[in-house]
Amino acid sequence: MKRFAVLLLALALFGCSEANHSGTGPNGEKIYRLAVIPKGTTHEFWKSVHYGAEQAAKEIGNVEIVWRGPQLENDRKGQISVVQNFIGSVDGMVLAPLDSQALVSPVSQVVDQGIPVLIFDSGLNDTSKIVSYVATDNYKGGALAARRMGEILNGEGDVILLRYNEGSESTQQREEGFLETLKEEFPNINILSSDQYAGTTPQSSLSKAKQMLDTFKNEVDGIFAVCEPNAAGTLQALKDLNLTGKVKLVAFDPNAELVAGLSNDSVHGIVLQDPVAMGYKSVKNLIAHMQGEEVEQRIDTGEFVATPENKDEERMQELLHPPQFGE
Amino acid sequence: MSSKETKPSPSESTTEPGALRRFFRRIDFSKGLAQFGVLVLIMLFFSVAEWLVTGRTSFSTSFNIIMMASQASTIAIAALGMTIIIIAGGIDLSVGTAIALCGTVCAWFLREDYGAAVAIPLTLLTGVVCGAVNGMLISFLRVVPFIITLGTMSLFLGIGKLLSGSTTVRPDESSQVPHWLSNFATTSADTTILGLPPGVWTLLAIAVLTYLFLRYSVFSRYIFALGSNESTARLCGINIPLTKIALYALAGFFVGLAGMYQFSELSEGSPTDGVGLELKVIAAVVIGGGSLNGGRGTVQGTLIGSYLIFVIDNGCTKIGLPNHLTDITLGVIIITAVAIDQWRQRRLERS
Repeated sequence: MKRFAVLLLALALFGCSEANHSGTGPNGEKIYRLAVIPKGTTHEFWKSVHYGAEQAAKEIGNVEIVWRGPQLENDRKGQISVVQNFIGSVDGMVLAPLDSQALVSPVSQVVDQGIPVLIFDSGLNDTSKIVSYVATDNYKGGALAARRMGEILNGEGDVILLRYNEGSESTQQREEGFLETLKEEFPNINILSSDQYAGTTPQSSLSKAKQMLDTFKNEVDGIFAVCEPNAAGTLQALKDLNLTGKVKLVAFDPNAELVAGLSNDSVHGIVLQDPVAMGYKSVKNLIAHMQGEEVEQRIDTGEFVATPENKDEERMQELLHPPQFGE
Repeated sequence: MSSKETKPSPSESTTEPGALRRFFRRIDFSKGLAQFGVLVLIMLFFSVAEWLVTGRTSFSTSFNIIMMASQASTIAIAALGMTIIIIAGGIDLSVGTAIALCGTVCAWFLREDYGAAVAIPLTLLTGVVCGAVNGMLISFLRVVPFIITLGTMSLFLGIGKLLSGSTTVRPDESSQVPHWLSNFATTSADTTILGLPPGVWTLLAIAVLTYLFLRYSVFSRYIFALGSNESTARLCGINIPLTKIALYALAGFFVGLAGMYQFSELSEGSPTDGVGLELKVIAAVVIGGGSLNGGRGTVQGTLIGSYLIFVIDNGCTKIGLPNHLTDITLGVIIITAVAIDQWRQRRLERS
């Protein structure tokens, strides 16, 4: 009985993994097997990264992508296991670390076994062993948001910065970029508040944004929400308080509602990243490194601002609706 | 108490059936032998599958086998404690968040410069207190453990967030975390002893102690009695509330140790890192032949169960199976294990 069960299981597994690859391609050239490890596998952002990685693999030809994230989103231990489990079974690794500290030692373990590692999306505290770091320049993204805000408000007015969460590095850089650029380039814009954290979910952002907007509703002209859940909650708060259009909203990262908001005067700018380029450039550069080429230490994948005016341009449409793997 | 000793099956005294059949009758799930067989089969399967699919043989290397052991040790330590609870007919759903709380306590005291000599004992103490709280609530409120620990699961998560200020507690790795602790469960060459990381040796030592405890101590008789039939145990004069508090506190010690392992692995403490861990811990015990009806469970089985979970994860990664198939595979194995267990129970009752 139990032997039968094991046999069944074995058969089921074999059925799922029939593809037969060996280390070399049909013409005898080496096939590079690359592990690409996102922070999670369910978010749309990562599906676009996956798309970009597969694009690069297709272009190069002799590259096979093994796409695998932690079983749960935000599962650090899970991601550490995935990283370690690939030791010996891939030729290179592309990783978006869930945590800048906890992944340092697993990455060094992998590199010590002779597998080159390229980091993307979020930084690692110790960069001494990695090939390169491919990511959005978040400070620059924040600066773009500040310039867009200055443009909408014609250089004067009162704005609120709604921060994301304590200890999140990427959003902290966006916040700094926003504040410093406003201060330098738009001296007549007054910052009403920049010390409130909206939390990680649209729900917590909604209640925080409501409190803030209600407190300052007679003075505030613009609000910057530094990431997608944050902006989703803020947009809802503006709607609830009947402030859409009156208070200008600049968001970071799109979702369907924010994109729709560009058309009905409730969203006035969305700072965009390029996840497809992130996946694409990561794979390209890792392969280049493995073939002995020099690779830059830090590669910027670009930041863009979508506005009601430019949103129909082809490039903006691509970034607002990035292609996803498996579509 | 039925399962501590293998019941001699009636057929053994007769000349028929043949030796092979007798051998299979003897393979008792409560002894862990059958699970070991399944583990070896699954490992063989992954070795072959990896070679067929990718043309590589990295699964069956000693490096990988030791690495899986060190990955499994956090779950395994906690699962040993859970085995004691499950033998006593209880359950502890709070184990995941309690581990994370212990890890956070460890990180917090290190960050505040108290040193490992203070931080580690307090980590273990936190685990014991968490367990004792569970035991007391279960005994005094007379509510089933499932509900109580569902409550304390959230309670420990909240306390962890309070302590950490809702963020990740990061002691400075070079100056505040002792070298032995940050390398406790990793396979890096300079800290291993006879090829195994100290964390795996510690796990094995604790497993031996737990085995001896379950086999020879008087207290373990009470635990088996409690799990087999609580009212009979009461009639036999066992102090049920005290036994429950003591056994949950004992399991809490294992949770504290698991918290230390977790900290060593992540080199930081976050109260949310344990969410979902309880399911893996319980799965390890169940795969290992522990019965949620109480009265049954072994150290060997639990160790194999914990290892199996990581073997499946590792093997699926090596083959390059997508995430959803790993989840499905693990689910199938858990259900298979429980189904076999039920089948065996019925067979025992018939004979």
